[in-house]
Amino acid sequence: MDTLYFLLRLSLFSAIPLMVVALGGMFSEKSGVVNIALEGLMLIGAFTGIYALNLMQKAGMSGQMLYIYAMLVGGVMGLIFSLLHAYASVNMKANQVISGTALNLFTPALAIFLARMWTGTQQVNFNDMFFIQKVGFLANIPVIGDLFFQKAYISTYVGILILIISYYVLYKTKFGLRLRSCGEHPQAADAAGISVYKIRYAGVMISGFLAGLGGVILIVPTTTNFNATVSGFGFLALAVLIFGQWKPKRIMLAALFFGLMRVISNSYSLIDVLAKLKLPGEFYSIIPYVATLVVLAFVSKKSAAPLAAGTPYDQGKR
Amino acid sequence: MKKLLSLLTVLALVLTLVACASKEDTYELALVTDVGTIDDKSFNQGAWEGLVKYAEEKNIDYNYYQPTAKTTDEYVAAIDLAVKGGAKNVVTPGYLFENAIYVVQDKYPEVNFIILDGAAHNVVDWDTMATMDDSDVDFRLEDNVYSIFYKEQESGFLAGYAAVKDGYTELGFMGGMAVPAVVRFGYGFVQGADHAAEEMGVDINVKYHYTGVFWPTDEVQNTASAWYQGGTEVIFAAAGGAGNSVMKAAEQNDGKAIGVDVDQSAESTTVITSAKKELAESVYQCLTEIYNETSDFFIAGESVVMSVNNNGVGLPSDFSRFESFTEAQYQEVIDYLKNPPVELASDAISSVADVPVNVATVEIVE
Repeated sequence: MDTLYFLLRLSLFSAIPLMVVALGGMFSEKSGVVNIALEGLMLIGAFTGIYALNLMQKAGMSGQMLYIYAMLVGGVMGLIFSLLHAYASVNMKANQVISGTALNLFTPALAIFLARMWTGTQQVNFNDMFFIQKVGFLANIPVIGDLFFQKAYISTYVGILILIISYYVLYKTKFGLRLRSCGEHPQAADAAGISVYKIRYAGVMISGFLAGLGGVILIVPTTTNFNATVSGFGFLALAVLIFGQWKPKRIMLAALFFGLMRVISNSYSLIDVLAKLKLPGEFYSIIPYVATLVVLAFVSKKSAAPLAAGTPYDQGKR
Repeated sequence: MKKLLSLLTVLALVLTLVACASKEDTYELALVTDVGTIDDKSFNQGAWEGLVKYAEEKNIDYNYYQPTAKTTDEYVAAIDLAVKGGAKNVVTPGYLFENAIYVVQDKYPEVNFIILDGAAHNVVDWDTMATMDDSDVDFRLEDNVYSIFYKEQESGFLAGYAAVKDGYTELGFMGGMAVPAVVRFGYGFVQGADHAAEEMGVDINVKYHYTGVFWPTDEVQNTASAWYQGGTEVIFAAAGGAGNSVMKAAEQNDGKAIGVDVDQSAESTTVITSAKKELAESVYQCLTEIYNETSDFFIAGESVVMSVNNNGVGLPSDFSRFESFTEAQYQEVIDYLKNPPVELASDAISSVADVPVNVATVEIVE
């Protein structure tokens, strides 16, 4: 049983950032803008967030609040960079894939350049003082305590909070309805008096914020320094988004599934049943991708993708 | 008026730029990086630090060049660039440069080349012994080439020995990829651990694994976490940046890690020691001898091996993170290595399963 909890806890380290970034992608796509710049936005968020962490720790600050600050810094920087994508794809009506790719190519180079200039090396170090062994009495709750309140990071709770807020905003608020309408039928939304441009800007900015934040919460639990990479998690988040069919709850499940499979592929030797099967680790790493393909093949006819995602809004079009 | 002003400003800017570019910049000392960067916390960085140290002391201009791809053609192109930039001494860290050095040693006879972890040759495929230009196999080293090898197996041996002597019995090795230097580290680690276990009369287990990457990922962290969870106490990570993911796993699971190439104790408090190669020192010494035109140790046109005999490999002098392993014990094993009864296994052996051990159980993890 301990092994199971251990594996599930481990999978949260990658599942939570995946979920947060995929939710970001969801906001952008629901507003009608495809955002394949998630990878680049994550990277710039991770860089600035970790660098802020580095500076604050050098100044002698400590405590969990630092982690929250770093997340906010990463998020805000992701938001700022997402404006480039928003401007190109909303105002300039550019091809959204191209402007996203441009960001993906630009940000790693920028991160390396700035890191070299500011710290002298490509790596940005931080001290991990955020790992929580036990969260008070909560750790003693059966199952839930074992899963969420032992050997955890606060980013897990932040991620869950973001999930709840995302769900609420998307389905229970006026803004959410407008956002969805702009992604489905912008002309109709416009006719109803909604500013499609503003809504799309908002969608992309939210995705930028969440991607930037997601970058920070990926780096802190998985390595000891930022080394100009987020290991392709931005693209993985896109797969999670598609697998989750653009719906918050399903995105959560998809992220957990991806995270768990990543863990199993590297640590299946701990699980007796799987160890006996003697399948190569790669088998388990492939499963999420094969599953995504299968899901795509089955639902492509009535895919839940926002209808207008990827097409620039043209008022003159009928 | 405004237009004229802005025009003038632009003109002034352009002229300054041109002035900058036309200034004769020559860099007498140059380093060409392999797949890593000059701050990879290991190989390239070590070589770079040695070069910088010498250049700063003697006030020589220096620069580094990063090839655009990891092919011999691109390496040669980067060396061309360095020579065009005025380089008289070029440092190339890594065995990947072996073919490139074979080419440039004839192309630029007046330039000195220092190659670490390798020697010039024209073989491109060791299985078929195919060569670059279909000529005969040639291991010629011209008089402008200094080739430096390291006995990584000794460094790994010391780390493994120290770990077991310190009381650890469940060990792990994670190499980046099965490239010669990493393999030597791994084999040495296994043999060192085995030697200590035999001396102490204890049973030990060594898990042996290649991660496939040299950068940090959650997957390496997952694997390492699973090992720690499964009882592994200390992991020797000879995998560049992927070592940072191992250290992270150690932090989260109360495990320990062993660093590689340089003293990595600052990376994480879990790093009990590091299997070092004195890269910086050897580049520095080699450059000193080239400039002083002496050949006390480094001989033009020959390969030299850095080992415990010339302090070319070893552990950092800080023993405070060990529970019980002391400097005296370290000196003892150094003496042992200077005169080993049997030669340590090298990368000539294809699998760790064939590395001779007496008491250790080696478990290969695919």
